[in-house]
Amino acid sequence: MTTDELEQLLAQQPVAVLHRLARGRVQRHFRAGKRRLIELLLQHSAQNRAGFESDLLTLIGERQAGPTSGSRPRHETPPIAHKKAASRSSDSEPSEPPISLTEWLQGIGVPAPQPFVQDPWQIEALAAVNETDVVISVPTGSGKTYVAIEAARRAMEDNRSVIYTSPLKALSNTKYAEFSKIFGPDKVGILTGDRQENGQAPLLVMTTEILRNLLYDAASGEIDVRLDTLGLVILDESQYLADPERGVVWEETIIFCPSQARLLLLSASIGNPQDIADWLTSIRATPCRLVRHSKRTVPLRAGYLHPNGKLTPLFRTLGIPQGHPGHLHPEAKHLFMEYEEETLPSGRPRR
Amino acid sequence: MPPSIHPVDLISALRQKHLTPAIVFLTSRRACDEAMEAFDHANFVLPTTRQEAIAKALEQVMAHHPSIAEHPMIPIVQRIGVAAHHAGHLPTWKIAIEELMRQGHLDAVFATTTLAAGVDFPARTVVITQSSIRKSRDFTDLTAGEVQQIAGRAGRRGKDHVGFAVITPSPYIDLSVLTKGLTGQPEAIDSQFTISYPMVLNLLKAHPHEHIQGILAKSFAQFQLNQRAEVLEQKLDALHIKMEPFGPRVCTDWITQWHTFDHARRHRHTRHPTYRAEPPEISARLPFLTPGRVVGFSRGRGVVLRQYRSKGQKNSMLTVLRPESAVTECPVTSVKEVYDRTYDCPETSTYPWCSTDTFDRLSHQLEELPLRLPLLPILASTDSEPLPDAIVQSLEDFSCPTCPSRSACQKDFLTASRLRQEQQRHTKSIQALRTSLWHRFQERVEVLQKFGYLTLTTQLTAEGEWARLIRIDHSLLITELIRAEAFTGADPSLLAGILASLAHDDDRPGAFPRISPGLSSLLGQVRKLAESLSPDEDPPLLRADVAALVERWVADQTLTWIGLCRLTTMAEGDIYRLLARTLEYLSQVQTLKGTHPGLAESASQAIAAIRRGVLEELP
Repeated sequence: MTTDELEQLLAQQPVAVLHRLARGRVQRHFRAGKRRLIELLLQHSAQNRAGFESDLLTLIGERQAGPTSGSRPRHETPPIAHKKAASRSSDSEPSEPPISLTEWLQGIGVPAPQPFVQDPWQIEALAAVNETDVVISVPTGSGKTYVAIEAARRAMEDNRSVIYTSPLKALSNTKYAEFSKIFGPDKVGILTGDRQENGQAPLLVMTTEILRNLLYDAASGEIDVRLDTLGLVILDESQYLADPERGVVWEETIIFCPSQARLLLLSASIGNPQDIADWLTSIRATPCRLVRHSKRTVPLRAGYLHPNGKLTPLFRTLGIPQGHPGHLHPEAKHLFMEYEEETLPSGRPRR
Repeated sequence: MPPSIHPVDLISALRQKHLTPAIVFLTSRRACDEAMEAFDHANFVLPTTRQEAIAKALEQVMAHHPSIAEHPMIPIVQRIGVAAHHAGHLPTWKIAIEELMRQGHLDAVFATTTLAAGVDFPARTVVITQSSIRKSRDFTDLTAGEVQQIAGRAGRRGKDHVGFAVITPSPYIDLSVLTKGLTGQPEAIDSQFTISYPMVLNLLKAHPHEHIQGILAKSFAQFQLNQRAEVLEQKLDALHIKMEPFGPRVCTDWITQWHTFDHARRHRHTRHPTYRAEPPEISARLPFLTPGRVVGFSRGRGVVLRQYRSKGQKNSMLTVLRPESAVTECPVTSVKEVYDRTYDCPETSTYPWCSTDTFDRLSHQLEELPLRLPLLPILASTDSEPLPDAIVQSLEDFSCPTCPSRSACQKDFLTASRLRQEQQRHTKSIQALRTSLWHRFQERVEVLQKFGYLTLTTQLTAEGEWARLIRIDHSLLITELIRAEAFTGADPSLLAGILASLAHDDDRPGAFPRISPGLSSLLGQVRKLAESLSPDEDPPLLRADVAALVERWVADQTLTWIGLCRLTTMAEGDIYRLLARTLEYLSQVQTLKGTHPGLAESASQAIAAIRRGVLEELP
């Protein structure tokens, strides 16, 4: 959600909802008018955006589920409790009881084999990559490689050549092996600084540095013909853009990437994918499409294992409570405090 | 209670809850290896069916990568179903472990966090034992992005309903870093754009100098700088609106005008601390004009009887005993000379300001004075600095006191001048943000011109034409070495050794094999040159041990991989990476076929010599 969208959404809510959101977030929120309240909430949301958004969505959900039941308990709370709630931090613990270990462990196992179904974001990305540059920012293990493979397949079917780059030689080797299995060994080549294997293949795997060097050679006149037929450049692990030593190589590669080739940037979850997309839009011929989602394909649960072998859930909730690092499971909290007390040298203040 | 859970207990706890296979992230390579050993000692044996499955899977990998067939860890991994995986291992061995993990034959892999960023293989569970990571020489807290990258390995698509991230404490863990990382949003990424020498050369080869600014403007760095500049511009616009009521008044630039007027007004008193200020050369005399001092006037001489201030007079006054017992009053300014002669003259409070005896004695002594007396050297201090011109002008020059808008100016001045200062500061920073990349580029250009890679018109010289092909770290040092003919006639092994010491950036210590005299003298030469280049390029570590190691590998073709590993304390994986990076550097030198055929030939010989054994298996 962008700040503008958030502001709009807040503006649509009745002021009562805003006050409930402001509880524990904004001091003396009951004195503020609606405009001012929205302003204060937005200011506060900068500290913990995810938690704020999730709270807002739950409140909206509650209202839609039953407008009266949502607001009733609030009026019934005695004034003292009200005050307490207001003075508590935004990480106040929810009222539901924490989940038990058995609940937490439920559902372990291998799912029945299912036919592969594309995720909506994968469909969206693949549809877009034919026309424009695409930036994909999704959590680890969501199936970015599938998009890369499909995009490469489609480009090769159109007789356009494809370059796939990864930050590490080890990754290049893995991908080379993987792609050779999928497309057949004659369709895939690999380029390293001193060696070429099947260098004329339509799909070339290399590290980003090698591609940058190719682009420099092409720019300075030592024309490499394959750059004219280059249809798709896939930059895997694009979050390396922020690498202190090597990030510059990704920038150079993107700046000098031929305009007829489509760029496909695959990246793990990052905080500002929109910036990357806006940047690409500003320097490339076609506007760049951003595909992002933050939901993991396989849900994640967090646990705490005490050195004595006792396992408990880490958080009160089954999943990860986005934006609420304080929602620890009471047992995990207790055990960890015990651990710290025993291991920390006495007299050292605990953080 | 132990400070952290024993690896065997850890895995059995996970197994009991069906949480395997798991990846256990540990702090160091040594911790991974020790965990393996602990398993080895724990008499833990897999059922034969699983052992056979592992053996079969390993055989498949060996078919492609025969070098791991002899790997000492194979029987252990087969027996216990657990493996270590870190950067100290050979890439082929890591491939084997990854393959075993992918096929689900292993219960656990002990890994360092470097794995999280690199190769991907998932598991049902990841175990996190630390909240910080070793970066260059320091431990820093994991960022939210890194925590999520690590946790992201949990849960295999199509093989698991759920993935688990289990935190188990060890000393120095900070739980809040991990919980915040798990629940928070990943950090925004920032551009790390730097302008290197090869980048400048390659840009200037392909584009005219005047286009470069436009190309730099296309970088993500500039995009982000522009974002910051835009924020400032918005602030500037807001300031502009705030400044509107403070537009031109009677004077166009009334803020400056009032500022100088106000300053002059305030400093009027410090400029004239007393109405009777003497010029410095006079005031310097005052301490010496004490009773009994002999002084000279335009006519005749006298003895000072007292020094005093008088209400009606601008200057300090003196009472002087003149010849023929005359007592006169005169201002200090009328004193022409101060002589290096004093008489004893105790002061009294009434006329003639000394006792009658003294008065008679002094009159007598004054008559007896020789014609020539030595002068007292008095240094006038000139440290009272002149005030700036704008303020020196007297208050009468200002129209402000009589100006009709005087009261308005006085009221608004503080606000307006604060706003204007802010405006100027923002304008300056916006300019800096917009042009900083270009300035950095220009700095690089100047250095390259100094070394003769670029002409004054920013054309590539003959040197620049080949130097732009060296696109690696320490490029300036390498090209300067080539120009200094340091490698001419050098053996391929020497070239490889030197490039290895340039390529290696790790500071893990290693015991080294004996270094040959040729290499050590060449390395000394390189070190000297690197030091002389240090204002323009950071010098590399230039470790002699890695240079000697690579030299041996290239020079001695009978040396086996095991033999090479025995020469040093470096881990196998580190040696492999060292050789791989050396290959990269050599292949850059190899591109100089056109201009330096001998050197390029030497480089390709070195490449051929390095590529044998383990190094031949992966492209």
